[in-house]
Amino acid sequence: MQQTMTIHDREELIAPLYKFDRQFWMTLSFLVVITAPGLILYVRQLFLGLGVTDLNRPVFWGAYLVNFIFLIGISMAGTVISAALTLLKINWRRPITRIAESLTVFGLMTAGLQIIMDMGRPDRLANTLLYGRLQAPLMWDIASLTVYLMTAVFALYLQLIPDIALLRDTFPATAPEWRKKLYSILALGWAGTKEQWHRLEKAILVVSAFIIPIGISLHTVTSWLFSTTVQPGWKSTILGPYFVVGAIFSGIGLLFIATTFAREYNKHLKEYITEKFYVNLGWIFIIMSGVWFYFTLNETLVVTAEQETLEFPVMASKLFGLYASAFWGMNILMVAATWILVAPKFISDAPSRNPLLQTSTGVGASIVAVLIFFLLWLQPAALSAPLIQTLMLVALVVFLFLGLLGVTKWMKAHLIKSTVIASSFVLFGMWLERWNILMPTLTHARLMPYTSYHPTVTEIALTISTFGILTIMFVVFYKFFPSISVWEVEEGRAIEADSVR
Amino acid sequence: MAAKLSRRDFLKVAAASGGAAAALGGLQSVMRADAKQLITSANDVIVPGVCSLCSSGCGTLARVADGKVVKLEGNPMHPVNVGALCPKGQAAPELLYNPDRLTSPMKRDRASGQVTPISWDEAAKLVAEKIAAARDAGHPESVAMMYGDTRGQQRSFFSRFMQTVGSPNFISKESLNTAAAKLGMYLTQGAYTLPVYDLENSNYILCFGANMLEGGWNPQRTISGWTFGRRGRSNRNRIVVVDPRQGIYGSKADEWIPIKPGTDAALALGMANVIIKSNLFDSDFVHNYSFGFEDFTGEGGATRKGFKNFVLENYDPQKVEQITGVSATTIARLAGEFAATRPAVAMLPGKGGLLNGSMEGVYAAMAIHALNALVGSVEAKGGVFTQQYFPVPDYPALPSDAVAKKGLAAERVDGAGSVFPLAFHAYQAVADRVLEGYPLDVLFLYDSNPVYETPGGAKFAEAFKKIPLVVSFSSFMDESAELADLILPESTFLERWGDDYIEGFGYPGIALRQPAIEPLYDTMNAADFFLKLAETLGGSFAKAFPWKSYEEVLQFRLKDVGADWETLKELGVWLTPGYRFAKRGSERWFEIVGRDRLRAPRDGFFDFYSRELFALFGKKNKADLAKRGITQTGDGVALPHHEDAPLSGDGDLHLNIFTLMSLGPKTEAANMPSLQEISGMTVRETWDSWLEMNPETAHKLGLQDNDAVVIQNSFGSVQTKLKLMRGLRPDVVNLPYNQGHTAVGRFAKGRGVNGLTLLDPASEPVTGLAMFTNTTVKVSKA
Amino acid sequence: MTDWCMVIDLDKCIACQACSIACRFENNTPVVSPEEAKNGREIRWNDVFPLPVHFGPDEGEYPNVKTHFLTRPCMHCKNAPCVKVCPVQATFIDEEGLVRQNYDRCIGCRFCTVACPYGVRYFNWYEPQWEETLAEYRNPDQVRVNGSLEGPAVRPVGVVEKCTYCVHRLIKGRAQADAEGRDFRADEYVPACVQTCTGKARYFGDLDDPNSTVSQLSKSLRATHLLEDSGAHPKTFYLSEG
Repeated sequence: MQQTMTIHDREELIAPLYKFDRQFWMTLSFLVVITAPGLILYVRQLFLGLGVTDLNRPVFWGAYLVNFIFLIGISMAGTVISAALTLLKINWRRPITRIAESLTVFGLMTAGLQIIMDMGRPDRLANTLLYGRLQAPLMWDIASLTVYLMTAVFALYLQLIPDIALLRDTFPATAPEWRKKLYSILALGWAGTKEQWHRLEKAILVVSAFIIPIGISLHTVTSWLFSTTVQPGWKSTILGPYFVVGAIFSGIGLLFIATTFAREYNKHLKEYITEKFYVNLGWIFIIMSGVWFYFTLNETLVVTAEQETLEFPVMASKLFGLYASAFWGMNILMVAATWILVAPKFISDAPSRNPLLQTSTGVGASIVAVLIFFLLWLQPAALSAPLIQTLMLVALVVFLFLGLLGVTKWMKAHLIKSTVIASSFVLFGMWLERWNILMPTLTHARLMPYTSYHPTVTEIALTISTFGILTIMFVVFYKFFPSISVWEVEEGRAIEADSVR
Repeated sequence: MAAKLSRRDFLKVAAASGGAAAALGGLQSVMRADAKQLITSANDVIVPGVCSLCSSGCGTLARVADGKVVKLEGNPMHPVNVGALCPKGQAAPELLYNPDRLTSPMKRDRASGQVTPISWDEAAKLVAEKIAAARDAGHPESVAMMYGDTRGQQRSFFSRFMQTVGSPNFISKESLNTAAAKLGMYLTQGAYTLPVYDLENSNYILCFGANMLEGGWNPQRTISGWTFGRRGRSNRNRIVVVDPRQGIYGSKADEWIPIKPGTDAALALGMANVIIKSNLFDSDFVHNYSFGFEDFTGEGGATRKGFKNFVLENYDPQKVEQITGVSATTIARLAGEFAATRPAVAMLPGKGGLLNGSMEGVYAAMAIHALNALVGSVEAKGGVFTQQYFPVPDYPALPSDAVAKKGLAAERVDGAGSVFPLAFHAYQAVADRVLEGYPLDVLFLYDSNPVYETPGGAKFAEAFKKIPLVVSFSSFMDESAELADLILPESTFLERWGDDYIEGFGYPGIALRQPAIEPLYDTMNAADFFLKLAETLGGSFAKAFPWKSYEEVLQFRLKDVGADWETLKELGVWLTPGYRFAKRGSERWFEIVGRDRLRAPRDGFFDFYSRELFALFGKKNKADLAKRGITQTGDGVALPHHEDAPLSGDGDLHLNIFTLMSLGPKTEAANMPSLQEISGMTVRETWDSWLEMNPETAHKLGLQDNDAVVIQNSFGSVQTKLKLMRGLRPDVVNLPYNQGHTAVGRFAKGRGVNGLTLLDPASEPVTGLAMFTNTTVKVSKA
Repeated sequence: MTDWCMVIDLDKCIACQACSIACRFENNTPVVSPEEAKNGREIRWNDVFPLPVHFGPDEGEYPNVKTHFLTRPCMHCKNAPCVKVCPVQATFIDEEGLVRQNYDRCIGCRFCTVACPYGVRYFNWYEPQWEETLAEYRNPDQVRVNGSLEGPAVRPVGVVEKCTYCVHRLIKGRAQADAEGRDFRADEYVPACVQTCTGKARYFGDLDDPNSTVSQLSKSLRATHLLEDSGAHPKTFYLSEG
């Protein structure tokens, strides 16, 4: 196979790897600054114990576990989507496979960190190997996570090999020697022979086929941590599929954000990662969000209708109790995210005079909607009369709709920006979804008074650090390896050229 | 260029990653025979003792593991607790090893407030000097002792010391609690003692405010009796609780009567009215063993009103309904049940001034006890009898001492017997009397913390300033010790010798208290200090106290109980179960009925008409009697009747201070962290106070559960948290006792509020009882 | 086989909390600070609390009011959810029906605390503290099974603990009988809470022995379990009031 990479491409994709410029150091410093406090507080937690959090009896799990489930969720999608698209031979996957796979790897690593942060005795982690009970759901989770992580690393590495070889071969003289040595070792003597390519392609296919069920199993197994208990709110039989669907579409959201970040960081990438990618992946996003709404409706409607003695207090806390703002906030965010991607498909590009379709209307109405939401959350005594509350809820829906309607034209005109906004909503919404799964059940214990949970500085700082670490890994990794799978893109171009001929 | 995937390739790759999963499964824990290893103390000793954390005096067994007291259990041989032990007793190691215990005798410099350690010798010298000076000046009565729990021989021992000094001022805390019940017994049955209730055999228990399951003067005994009556025998008894506060016992009882505070006399008499009208009373007892049931001919041939006609004329259930808030049908029904279910017993509470602090309380005690007499439950199975005690040899006769003789005849500082004609003790009145000018030179405080535990305790702080030497035996720096000149910390009950008369079953019993370990610190048994003091004083004191240690005193006094010293030490308990009750008219009967009368004949008659009271007040005029809180004149004075209690405080809700099972009545318990942690379980509070209020009342006042509220009246103001409680009369609020300490130690200090600061500090004019529960407060949002 | 079981007669229980405190001094559970206590960090393996736990509408109006209390040790469930979820078998059911706890192996993941529907499990959020001289009164007994600490010695920070039906008293009792060269009798084994109960409301014994008190009581019409349909098959049972 010929490498049809031009010098221009090389400049765009490979040269930045050796440029440790101001942008890089600023980004890295910022990330280190926001990550450091959490790590210091973690050391404090190691010395003092988990008492530094707001965890208590009965709320034995909190922010760390919410982050864990969330990170597992968003990590699952990357490699699975990349593998699925590969198996289906869908060509527009090529520029984003590496970002997707690396998100899975780094996401899973940070997810694993959450567990270590949450353990009472992290020094006894080896006990899970020495005394692990395979009958325990947590062991399934550990096993599944380890297998998925190892396989994802393997997949990522496998698909990196030709690019590492490229880096080895195009190594600039000005760069340090140890880096060349690193590439040489990691390239595993790749020479780009026909037989090597053949083996690589086969291996990628096998891994891709393999990794999809592993990935799906991970999040299903994570859901079984909850659904195998007898606690109200968790006894749902569709918790597995629910988690998987949520994971896929939040993973896509993360992928969108990561890709956009990469594109902004290295403007050249815009040539390779085009708007078409956003449109295509957006469709998968929309379909998954539809399924997610379907599942959410099922869960909520069924439990609310039954009003079973033990289940209902938990659901009630989500509908109109302590967790109402988190629950309805999540739903609003998801609706908004879906709208952002769907609605523009139904309107034309042409600018409109219709006042309802003006951005200013949209933004204004959104701000009003947000204000009303906060008023409903904070519940000031003056507005507590039932009639006023109902009117506020109706107004919320109306202004939300107006807000979403107004910005639709703008969304149409700014596909990528709106996708990123939608993705942010989805990520925040999915974090809330995990929160809404854990906290209502834990705070509404059967033989203890209802209580609440407010993460402390340690937990908030560690959450920030988690995302800091994730981003640092991302930024540093892509200083050593190209963020676009160069050989895959070349391969794609070759295939296109072939088909044209 | 996608290559075709062959099955072999797939399996090859699959196997590689599958192996990882299997390896991760980890080693299953293999079932092997469990090798159990027990590491325990090398040296374990079990030492019997008697708990001091409330007045029940439960027998304990302390496990001393390698010289440390690590656990207490109940002594199965002790009849009060029979192997059980309440949370206070279980937490006793927190008393023994409390970090705030005083570790040596201390002297305080009044000017600077500085406290310095001194030796026991110095302390004895200081006190001896003062006592000698008082005697030399011819005023030995200026030496006083205020005491709380004195168990077994302690009371007679301390009393002997005070007699040797020549002071009548030996003042018991009982005017704050049990004196009311004792007076009820005294004025009717003629015995100044606490009633003993045969709960196990009773089929109907009518309990007036005795807080059987959480407090009272013998909580463990009433708990044991209660649970036996419910489930320990084949036929379940019936329990009716009469109390403005339901509490745990009112809820577990068969019926709760939320009576208007201060109207118990009326209820009892209303029941008596029905019992008499229906002819359900014990005719034999009433006609042959009582006095004053029927009208009788008095001095000068005048017809005097008897109990029967008095009650029939004045306490018809309809009238009583107006007074008590209990419906006439209920009164009639209760009366019928009480009289028809035999044996039945009516219980007196252990609260100061009964359920209110005027003569009404005393009359209520009389009326309630009269119910027992009416149905023949006095000295009967399932009824009420009097406590018997082991015979103890008399102390050697005191040397004759003119100074002492003169002092003993002086008026008491608390005004008992003089200012308060019916009182034997008037503990809370001491402060006022000292401030009014009664000179005291030395004041001993034994299990006594008057600055905290009396209403108007701040007055004691003032009074102390006028007393040159205040000596506290407290093991902690409590509110009174903080103002004392000498603090001579006593060893805890686990570190000293003592004994206890087992009370609550009638038959005699002795429980022995012995050191489980040597005292941890330089503390001393207070009795041993008095022996040292006697030695230092020499002369008549040395003669009166020839023993070298309190252990010797005990060996002397307990030698006739029927067990030798070694057996007593080993078992911790010695009983002679046998006395049940005195047969009517027997020799024993005369030892019980009328035995303590001072102004009436000791003729074995139960006084429905109190001749003692008539002797005191029968001839007084209306105005004189009104001053003493008695609205009746003539015969009415001697007969139990309802008095409208004068309320104080200018509030609109009755304030009820109640004792918790968790913290109990003792100051030191408030500094035990385990007890603080469980203190407010019933309302889900911890380490704090709260105010209980009926939800209806709260709603009217615009208050909600858990609101911060201010409770105030003309005596003071406190702030705490509100807890709504449905088991409570709407016109009453409850505040738990033993929080709001300003000293004692790190766990007690600054927690919650002391409700006693809001109570009327006055003393009831006739009996010297503390005027609790006639105090009202106002509650508002903070 | 032996199947140890505890029975609590709620008609005799007077909610005095002696059980909770006896358990503390027997098993070395620490007192926590008032702030920690208000934040749900108390550790009392046996806990007493008022009912209903969550207020409902039907509770009686003054003066026809009743209050109820529940004293709650570990249920030692036959189908214990905690045992099912522990990843390292730090909690397990032994051959005598006790749900035991291995403090040396626990990794502090708290899955068992989350899975338990009865809330009987507690976690050491900090290193347990006894202030100054209070540390002197701790029970020196220590039971190690296959080398691992099973109480009642003080547990370290970061592990889960719970009521063990005072299993160390069982081991001690058996060791005592062995030392004296005689058979061990079931009635020699009495947990601290059962021994101290002021109302004599607690019973303990072998459910597999048809002649034992607990077996007889299990046939009572008043016998009931907590959260009967949790699926955990709680073994500790209650005799209802009245």
